[in-house]
Amino acid sequence: MENVKAYIESGILELYVLGDISAEEKLQVEDMATQYPEIRAEITEIERSMEFYAEEHAIEPPADLRQRVLGSLLVNLGDDRIFTKAVTHQDDDHVRSLPPARVNSFYKYAFAACLTLLLISVYGLINLYSKLQDSNTQLTALQTDKIRIANQVNLMDRQLNMYRDTTYKVLRLKGMPKTPTAAMILAWNSVSKKVMVDVQSMNLPKHDNKHQYQLWALVGGKPVDMGVFDKPAADTAGVKEMKAIASAQGFAVTLEPMGGSINPTMDQMVVIGQF
Amino acid sequence: MSPKRKISLSEEELILALRNREKIAIEALYDMYSASLFGVISRIITDEAIAEDTLQETFVKIWHSFSGYSSEKGRLFTWMVNIARNLAIDKVRSKDFKNQSKNHELENNVTFIDEQKNTVYKPELLGIRDLVSTLKPEQRSILDLVYFKGYTHVEAAEELGVPLGTIKTRLRMGILQLRKHFNE
Repeated sequence: MENVKAYIESGILELYVLGDISAEEKLQVEDMATQYPEIRAEITEIERSMEFYAEEHAIEPPADLRQRVLGSLLVNLGDDRIFTKAVTHQDDDHVRSLPPARVNSFYKYAFAACLTLLLISVYGLINLYSKLQDSNTQLTALQTDKIRIANQVNLMDRQLNMYRDTTYKVLRLKGMPKTPTAAMILAWNSVSKKVMVDVQSMNLPKHDNKHQYQLWALVGGKPVDMGVFDKPAADTAGVKEMKAIASAQGFAVTLEPMGGSINPTMDQMVVIGQF
Repeated sequence: MSPKRKISLSEEELILALRNREKIAIEALYDMYSASLFGVISRIITDEAIAEDTLQETFVKIWHSFSGYSSEKGRLFTWMVNIARNLAIDKVRSKDFKNQSKNHELENNVTFIDEQKNTVYKPELLGIRDLVSTLKPEQRSILDLVYFKGYTHVEAAEELGVPLGTIKTRLRMGILQLRKHFNE
């Protein structure tokens, strides 16, 4: 505090305000002023005094000088504004605009190219994908076809085997007086005991859905149940395997209630055949 | 008196307006400080036309170098009066000016001006008489030499033939006297 008082009384602050001070001392005073508010206050007081002193000694300049000074400052102000604008434009037109324009257009074209490539790729992918889907569908269809045909071939084979295989005995069942047109071919293998019905060549009257045909084997004059079957649809191919039987003298088919009967309904017999 | 209404702003408002390069700042600046600055300039340059030119240059310089002013370092007027004084002293010391050798001796200008100029319109004019009596003659002469004429205190010491320490003391006492006077 004592130091501050001594500093104030040294008269350096007065010289500072009067501008009569070296640059070094000036910085020192400003440093002190920031550190000590009382020094800052003292400086302000001195400044105000000198300001009043100048006011006391003020001399009003001639009235026309006001316009002159304001005019030159306003011209400057206007110049500043106009000039600043003009310079900006020139810069834009002559110096600055070209390089950024190049850079800009490069990125613009690059971006456009990327976008185009992306769109083409996406389009290609979609095309490819739909083709793949088509191929897959076709493949599945072909596989289904293949399986169907293989099955068919299998069936045909079995059907053919029925006639080819000499161990099969082929029996033609013929219509009864009530059903003269009815006919059916059946094959019985005495070795494997299998009984196959040729579905394709079957020609039996239609029946309602409460009844089914039942095959009977005639063993020693007695009917033995060989299983039930429906009249097949017109285009059904292949053969149907019925129950096996070791020996039989003949076969007959009767129309029985759904699920079959234990004993054949004799008056509903449609075909019969004997070896 | 100028028939126009003078524009006056607070120092803070004026500084802000000057920063923003507003037109009103130019007018306020002139109306508020031209007389005080012209008073200082006229005490250094006796030729009225050159003093007027210098005042104009002062305002141009204030306007253009305003970004260099910082209110933290002092009052606006202190900064401006330094610009005015330096411009005026440069003028006086320049070759052109010296060639016009019909000028009065520098040392005598202060009293010369005060004798010649009756153009101070301020009603506080009377205050100067008080002021003159407030300050001791030796205080006043040194204050005027440094403040109005841009003498360094070293130059003033030589001019007046007194030791440096005495110059400093007289300066401080003079300004203290002024403070007392203006705070009354």
